[in-house]
Amino acid sequence: MTERTIKVEVKRQSGPDAKAFTETFEIPYRPNMNITSLLGEIALNPRAINGAESTPITYDSNCLEEICGSCAMLINGKAMMACSALVDKLLGAVEHGQKPDLSKTITLAPLSKFPVVRDLAVDRSVLFENLKAVKAWVPIDGTYDLGAAPRQHPQIQEERYPLSNCISCTICMEVCPQFNDVTGFVGAATIAQTKLFNMDPAGSVLKEERLRALAGDGGIQECGFAQNCVQACPKQLPLTEAISDIGRDVFIQQVKDFFTH
Amino acid sequence: MAAAPRIIVIGGGLAGLSAVIKIAEAGGTVDLFSIVPVKRSHSVCAQGGINAAKDLKGEGDTVLKHFDDTVYGGDFLANQTPVKNMTAQGPAIIDLLDRMGVPFNRTPEGLLDFRRFGGTLYQRTAFAGATTGQQLLYALDEQVRRFESEGKVKKYEGWEFLSAVLDNNGVCRGICAMDLRSMETRTFAADAIIVCTGGNGAIFGKSTNSVVCTGSAQSALYQQGAFYANGEFIQVHPTAIPGEDKLRLMSESARGEGGRVWVPRDKNDKRAAQSIPEPDRWYFLEERYPKYGNLVPRDIATREIFKVVYEDGMGIDGQPMVYLDVSHLAPEKQHKLEGILEIYEKFVGDDPRKVPMKIFPGVHYTMGGLWVDFNQQTNIPGVFAAGEADYSIHGANRLGANSLLSCIYGGFVAGPQAMAYTKNLPAQVGDGGHAAELKRQNEKNSALLNNKGTENPFKIWRELGENMTKHATIVRYNAGLDEADAKIVELLDRYKNVNLSDKSQWANTSFAFTRQLYNMLELARVIVKGARLRDESRGAHYKPEFAERNDERFLKTTKAAFVDGAPSISYEEVDTQYITPRPRVYTSS
Amino acid sequence: MAAIAPPAPASNPHSGSKRRGVQPLRAGQGHDFLLRRLHSLTGLLPIGAFLVEHIVSNYEAVNGPLAYAQQVKFLNGLPLVRVLEWAFIFIPLAYHALYGVYIGIRGRSNVNVYPWAGNWGYYAQRITGYIAFVYICYHLYSQRFSGVSLPEHPGAAFHKVQMELQHPLILSAYVIAMVATCWHFAYGIWLFAAKWGITPGNVARKRFGYVCAAVGSGLCVLGLIGMFAFLNPKYANAPDDVMPEQPAGIVLPAPNVAPAGSTNPSQPGEVR
Ligand SMILES: Cc1cc2nc3c(=O)[nH]c(=O)nc-3n(C[C@H](O)[C@H](O)[C@H](O)COP(=O)(O)OP(=O)(O)OC[C@H]3O[C@@H](n4cnc5c(N)ncnc54)[C@H](O)[C@@H]3O)c2cc1C
Ligand code: HEM
Ligand code: HEM
Ligand code: SF4
Ligand code: F3S
Ligand code: FES
Repeated sequence: MTERTIKVEVKRQSGPDAKAFTETFEIPYRPNMNITSLLGEIALNPRAINGAESTPITYDSNCLEEICGSCAMLINGKAMMACSALVDKLLGAVEHGQKPDLSKTITLAPLSKFPVVRDLAVDRSVLFENLKAVKAWVPIDGTYDLGAAPRQHPQIQEERYPLSNCISCTICMEVCPQFNDVTGFVGAATIAQTKLFNMDPAGSVLKEERLRALAGDGGIQECGFAQNCVQACPKQLPLTEAISDIGRDVFIQQVKDFFTH
Repeated sequence: MAAAPRIIVIGGGLAGLSAVIKIAEAGGTVDLFSIVPVKRSHSVCAQGGINAAKDLKGEGDTVLKHFDDTVYGGDFLANQTPVKNMTAQGPAIIDLLDRMGVPFNRTPEGLLDFRRFGGTLYQRTAFAGATTGQQLLYALDEQVRRFESEGKVKKYEGWEFLSAVLDNNGVCRGICAMDLRSMETRTFAADAIIVCTGGNGAIFGKSTNSVVCTGSAQSALYQQGAFYANGEFIQVHPTAIPGEDKLRLMSESARGEGGRVWVPRDKNDKRAAQSIPEPDRWYFLEERYPKYGNLVPRDIATREIFKVVYEDGMGIDGQPMVYLDVSHLAPEKQHKLEGILEIYEKFVGDDPRKVPMKIFPGVHYTMGGLWVDFNQQTNIPGVFAAGEADYSIHGANRLGANSLLSCIYGGFVAGPQAMAYTKNLPAQVGDGGHAAELKRQNEKNSALLNNKGTENPFKIWRELGENMTKHATIVRYNAGLDEADAKIVELLDRYKNVNLSDKSQWANTSFAFTRQLYNMLELARVIVKGARLRDESRGAHYKPEFAERNDERFLKTTKAAFVDGAPSISYEEVDTQYITPRPRVYTSS
Repeated sequence: MAAIAPPAPASNPHSGSKRRGVQPLRAGQGHDFLLRRLHSLTGLLPIGAFLVEHIVSNYEAVNGPLAYAQQVKFLNGLPLVRVLEWAFIFIPLAYHALYGVYIGIRGRSNVNVYPWAGNWGYYAQRITGYIAFVYICYHLYSQRFSGVSLPEHPGAAFHKVQMELQHPLILSAYVIAMVATCWHFAYGIWLFAAKWGITPGNVARKRFGYVCAAVGSGLCVLGLIGMFAFLNPKYANAPDDVMPEQPAGIVLPAPNVAPAGSTNPSQPGEVR
């Protein structure tokens, strides 16, 4: 029996300034593969389709269960998490038991809005910088035993929890038409985190500072409400709701500041 | 020491971040090294919750009961002093996390909600939805980001710890690390270092752990003279979703709600699971344990599934898999399992509400680790360890939801203790061994890059994983362990012949992996050797040839030292001053 | 199985050079927020309100040349009309239009990759904005700043528009512009509410979407009816100016018969 294989076309780049090129690999097919296992298969036998010796592909991954946020990349042109992207589905088998179409090629490319480190790995540290800029933390007094925290209604927890699920994958930024070099937009994730901390009873002491930060250039005003973020977010964060709420709060803060400063 | 102490923390999981926070808060400065951005550390994977005896449910839970449950659950192998301290600090740690903004689930009155976990009778586990580890890690990450923005912490994300820098007296004076982007190797001076590099599931190939959980850092330190303790204790979770690249946890609650484990009676049955009629299904747990059925304790379930697959050859399609079936459950019950069923659906592509899930036990947690004293210091002066990377809390078996607590506790002890240690540290003589260590690591690197062999490192790793999973996980036989060790020795030999297809000097991940692989091989020997010598059954370590616990010979901590290139095992008494060991019997699930 | 490969590193604290890629938030710096909110506000209030007024006024054409002329005359007779016009129409419009183009060219639309409804809305807001831009430039030139000056000769308005709409290309441009502007305005109201936090919830946004769609379609239909009134065969040969300036001293007799079908009692009719 001849081995069934699938073709994967990978956009590669040996370094930040190197020229990009594509390389096609042919990989033995097994049911239930995901993109990370497929990349592992290439590492096991790094040989391009024409038989030429190649090298394992550089990419980010860690948890392999869509919780660490490492493995975002463009799969067939769309931003997705590689570990939760199933090969069978990409090959057209939407329902269980359907046969995937092995003649289709899967294409992999790095996220397009972030500087490429190498191959599929990109530098997404801008998100962490943005989180610093909005002070996305609760400024506690200290870690010693200061007794229980104030009580909090379950409703607040229910509203905060989904926002706290953000895995910093940056997909919401990648898919946002406003997130680019020219606008320097912060992106939806940071706005959602601002809401998360503003909602915390203790975290809200920094509320005004966060709102002022978000009124800076590249701030919340750059959002054109394209809503791609909320569609693409792998963790289904209520991003447009957060943008709306924070948009109002930032405006009110600006008006207040105008009259008091 | 005159100047402010310089401390390096390696690892940005819960343990590492806890240590960083304590040091920064006390006015120290910290360099934090992590392979992955700290927010992507393995701790994000934890789902269930974190234990602390806050007794908010009026059940009369106490710290002492938590202490007892932990020691009993660990089959009395844990030193009792640190366990006692940890459980005592539990409630304060939960309060702290709450103050940091962790979105813990709440009662209608606005208090913390608690759920019950395995190994206890009390509702002692605080939780934030089904992503507690993620929420805790983020809370600590945010605090560290705050200190970072205040200049108290400097992060070296994307740097890999290679080894400690030791001076002529064997005192730690810093670390040698590699920038995984520029592949540059450098040494960094420090008065003390804290190693919080997590577990070592990758040694078993596939596990529920994350990719960076290779145990490489611990192994490197072991090869530099640190003791590695209780290496043979590896927790295997009964129900994980076998994946092409990883085993994803399927929580026990699936069985709690009525899920049933079975395989086809005929091993050649090729029918789709749903169409196999009831009489052709073998509910082996229910058959063998009529009283507890599918809810037998974790280790028993794990062993039974293992036997069905490997001894009876009854795995589905000859694969190491059995069915975990919730498709017969009423929709309300299925709804309670929504979160975990979605994970299955997402990764397997089948709807577990209609199709039985395919599951298999998966390597889950490393009870063993770097040997530390009660101050979290290893036997190398100036090297501290905390979290899953040390061995201190869980003995022979970890209770669910105790690990997150032990990580934070460990970091909270290690940080201040490291600060205290630096106060009396004599000044360094000469360069403290920096030049020599850098040279040693650079030589290793160039040797690897210039190797002209034929072995693919990923193939060696795959064989290591298969070998370890087969012989050193659920059921262990001395003959098998001998075989396993021989295989590792063979792999170490083949490693000499390893060939890197990628010899570039920029973000070369396979190079970094190949370096880690060597350390995995050395640590694998520790696990196998420890298991080979421990002729008893205790906690996660089960030998059918020695099915009983043997306190007389083995109520002892295994300590492995790297002597002449091989593990040399010695034993140390266990601190049992508070609770006298008693038999561990499962009277209920 | 062999999926392991240590993740590629993230940021390197030692690469001292300027960071690549999208820059971090300039927290609290600059005035973009103000300018952007102003853009939003101008779109809704002066310009949006004008559009409604304009379409309603133009609808008067349904009642014939004289009625339309009266309407134009009425508007031009408002006190301080030139000041109002500049303050509430031209300047805000110029700001909204120019800043709108600036906003538009800074975005990187990607509907080709992510063809989702919201993304189409985003894209359409830019396209309709550009259409409105080109159209309004032309329209202002042809109706306001060239040919007969309507503020001085309100009676010539009907004929002027009628002549303009004779050419099928111009006519279709007017139709396209009308649809585009109404779309832009209607979606603009929706955007305004979403961005200013008036409709934060998904349900609120959805319901308000229906409201905006109704407003937009209503306006569009009204506008198109008004536009085709100029081509009504009944008025095919409307005089150049229904209110020619009268030589001094000559008083026209007051009309005594209302025009056929007029519902407006004050509308001047024929002299019989
Ligand atoms: C699926 C799953 C579910 C779990 N659920 C629970 C639960 O519900 N409750 C519970 O209590 N426990 C649970 N656990 C266990 C718990 O998650 C872990 O034990 C704990 O998170 C370990 O934290 P850590 O800080 O020790 O290490 P990790 O979080 O693993 O962090 C290790 C850090 O070290 C870094 N690192 C590693 N090697 C190097 C190196 N050489 N150089 C530099 N940096 C390095 C990594 O980058 C990382 O930052 C679960 C575990 C799994 C796998
Ligand atoms: C003349 C050319 C015009 C251009 C280039 C233009 C451009 C734009 C753009 C790009 C936006 C989206 C802004 C964003 O997404 O942040 C916008 C919004 C809007 N426009 Fe225009 N527009 C024009 C004319 C008009 C006209 C004539 C009206 C009114 C009838 C109008 C009303 C609005 C409204 C209400 C909004 C929503 C405000 C907001 O974004 O919050 N625009 N316009
Ligand atoms: C049915 C279609 C339309 C007709 C018949 C029409 C007709 C006219 C006429 C006759 C004038 C000159 C009025 C004057 O000078 O006093 C005018 C002015 C103007 N029109 Fe239109 N128009 C139409 C559609 C539009 C649209 C869709 C817009 C977009 C917003 C628009 C914007 C303007 C502006 C800004 C002016 C100048 C306003 C002023 O002079 O105060 N028009 N239009
Ligand atoms: S908001 Fe969603 S898409 Fe954006 S970074 Fe967070 S998880 Fe990713
Ligand atoms: S896609 Fe972008 S434009 Fe706003 S609504 Fe989302 S951030
Ligand atoms: S590897 Fe963690 S999200 Fe994919």
